[in-house]
Amino acid sequence: MKSFRKYISKYLASFVGLVLILLAVNAVAFGWTFYEVVTKDYGDLSPQNMLDTTAASAALDGISDEASAQLRRSHIWAVYLDMSGNIAWEIDMPDEIPEHFTIQDVALFAKGYLADYPVFIRNTADGMLILGYPKDSYMKLSSNYFSIRAIETMPFFVIGILAADFVILFLAYFFSKRKILKNTEPIIASIEELGSGKPAALSIQGELSGVANSVNKAALLLSRQNQARANWISGVSHDIRTPLSMIMGYSKRIADEDSLHVDVRKKAEIINRQSVKIKELVQDLNLVSQLEYEMQPVHKASIRIASLVRTCAADLLNDGLPDQYSIDIEISANAEITTFECDARLISRAINNLVQNSIRHNPDGCAIMLSLDCTEDRVFLCVSDNGVGLSAEKRKELQERPHYIESTDDRLDLRHGLGHILVRQIVKAHNGTIQIESEYQKGFKVMLIFPKTADAK
Amino acid sequence: MDHTYLHSKKILLVDDEPELLNMLCTFLAEEGFENIVTAATMKGGLDAARSESPDLAVLDVMLPDGDGFSLMRQIRTFSEMPMIFLTAKDEAADKLAGLGLGADDYVAKPFLPQELLLRICAVMRRYYKEESTLIILDGSTVDLSRAEVNKDGAVISLTAKEHILLETLARNEGKIVTVDALCEALWGDNPFGYENSLNAHVRRVREKIEKDPSKPVSLITIKGLGYKLNTRK
Repeated sequence: MKSFRKYISKYLASFVGLVLILLAVNAVAFGWTFYEVVTKDYGDLSPQNMLDTTAASAALDGISDEASAQLRRSHIWAVYLDMSGNIAWEIDMPDEIPEHFTIQDVALFAKGYLADYPVFIRNTADGMLILGYPKDSYMKLSSNYFSIRAIETMPFFVIGILAADFVILFLAYFFSKRKILKNTEPIIASIEELGSGKPAALSIQGELSGVANSVNKAALLLSRQNQARANWISGVSHDIRTPLSMIMGYSKRIADEDSLHVDVRKKAEIINRQSVKIKELVQDLNLVSQLEYEMQPVHKASIRIASLVRTCAADLLNDGLPDQYSIDIEISANAEITTFECDARLISRAINNLVQNSIRHNPDGCAIMLSLDCTEDRVFLCVSDNGVGLSAEKRKELQERPHYIESTDDRLDLRHGLGHILVRQIVKAHNGTIQIESEYQKGFKVMLIFPKTADAK
Repeated sequence: MDHTYLHSKKILLVDDEPELLNMLCTFLAEEGFENIVTAATMKGGLDAARSESPDLAVLDVMLPDGDGFSLMRQIRTFSEMPMIFLTAKDEAADKLAGLGLGADDYVAKPFLPQELLLRICAVMRRYYKEESTLIILDGSTVDLSRAEVNKDGAVISLTAKEHILLETLARNEGKIVTVDALCEALWGDNPFGYENSLNAHVRRVREKIEKDPSKPVSLITIKGLGYKLNTRK
């Protein structure tokens, strides 16, 4: 979810950047276009310059030839008025301009136009110089009147408007981001759930309902596939059981038949041992897949864990343990009175599998110890032996080996059965953890640590 | 414990796999059970249960025309005989459903015929008590039906608790019975904190049955787990 927020923020940042770049480009284009006009407007022929140069060389009695030539070249006409409003001299004055100017005339053209010619005036010591530019060459905005107060408040107004714009933009961004997140959040969350293998069910209305439907479909498909896979495993393991019962039954009978040759009986004994292995594998496989796809309901109940451990040990001993093995049990006084919320069948299965592991890895025999200890909120269940143990690499491999369902390694080694995987699954179903301690030739110790109540982490 | 007195009992086997029925018949026959009836379907099983009135039924859960649980329900309407389920699924739910209906035990496939034999005998012993239940021990003989111990010609009677204790151990003869299971047999559900009382009862039973109660050979302690009763064949 965080990544998505970041994505949106990043997107906004680049948008703001784009706006800034656009503004810069506009400014450059504007400058480029108006540069020439501006230089022309303020160049040698600008009214200001013309007035300066012409006034310098003009007086009541005339103007220098050079200045008049310059005016003609520029198609500018000129008039010089004396103090009483009569024309002292003129250059190329159009016909529609009167010979005499009254005070009213002067007041009118002082606004900028004389018979539609844009005019510029300069007062001199003995009269007034008027320069007339061609029609439509200059325009005077003569209708603007602003109070000083208005002009003074201008900067504050501009800044205020800009600030308001920013606030509006930010709010628009904020609300649209919130809305997008609100609509996409459940979708993203359920996609993340899907990624961790959990089913998702979304209900979203509006534009994004299509996306939600797709996610739901994917989730359904995934759970159906899981269901199909688990059913398949369950079906196969079911159908294998009856034939396996017969293989086990007959091979055992041949092995026990006194009238047969000892070699034949030995071979039958091997068949029997191997079929028992298949039996264990089939049972484990089914349970592992059921747990994996959460199809096996975990029946948790509060039980006396000490009693369960004792029963496990007694069952193992009663089932006939070969002489080279021994099982001892160590239950702390604390653990004796502890009740633990768990699925008794699964916990027994885990203990059983760990003991079987010890037996399998130590064909020459070993002493197996089951110990149980409890603290305020934890249960420590430990199965250890004094056998051959594991090398450091092996131990690391065991802890880091990927789950067989997640593994795509076709060299996946299941020769030692699913025992360890099943134990991991059972521990996971009880929110517990596993610790493995082992040194080569110094025994093997597996510690299962569970929270006492089901929901405590 | 000897089970020859059970050999005359009639056993009904219901499973849809004829080869499996065959194997079980042969095996049970070799173990002395001659009176065996088989059926491959639910209907056949129901008919056999009616006409043959067997003493015990072994039912497969999955049958071609129904499931073992409903077969059991129907048999229950007219028979009180003990029933054992053969189940191929190891789901806990199935087992619970089976036992909840009043099944006496279940055996998960694949199984060894010996396992099934043990279950059959255990269940039948519970149902069909032997006339005189004699347990022959190293230093004495226990007659559970009369709650008496015969040691060196003297007859010592057992208290009710001692009787349950010996009976529980004798039923699991040669096997370890945990203190928890013994406490439960003696004091019922949630037998919490009775370990000291149990010790006291064990001590008194030993005084009655052992030659040398300080060095028991029949009722022995399995450290940390429970007790075991060794009988003499």
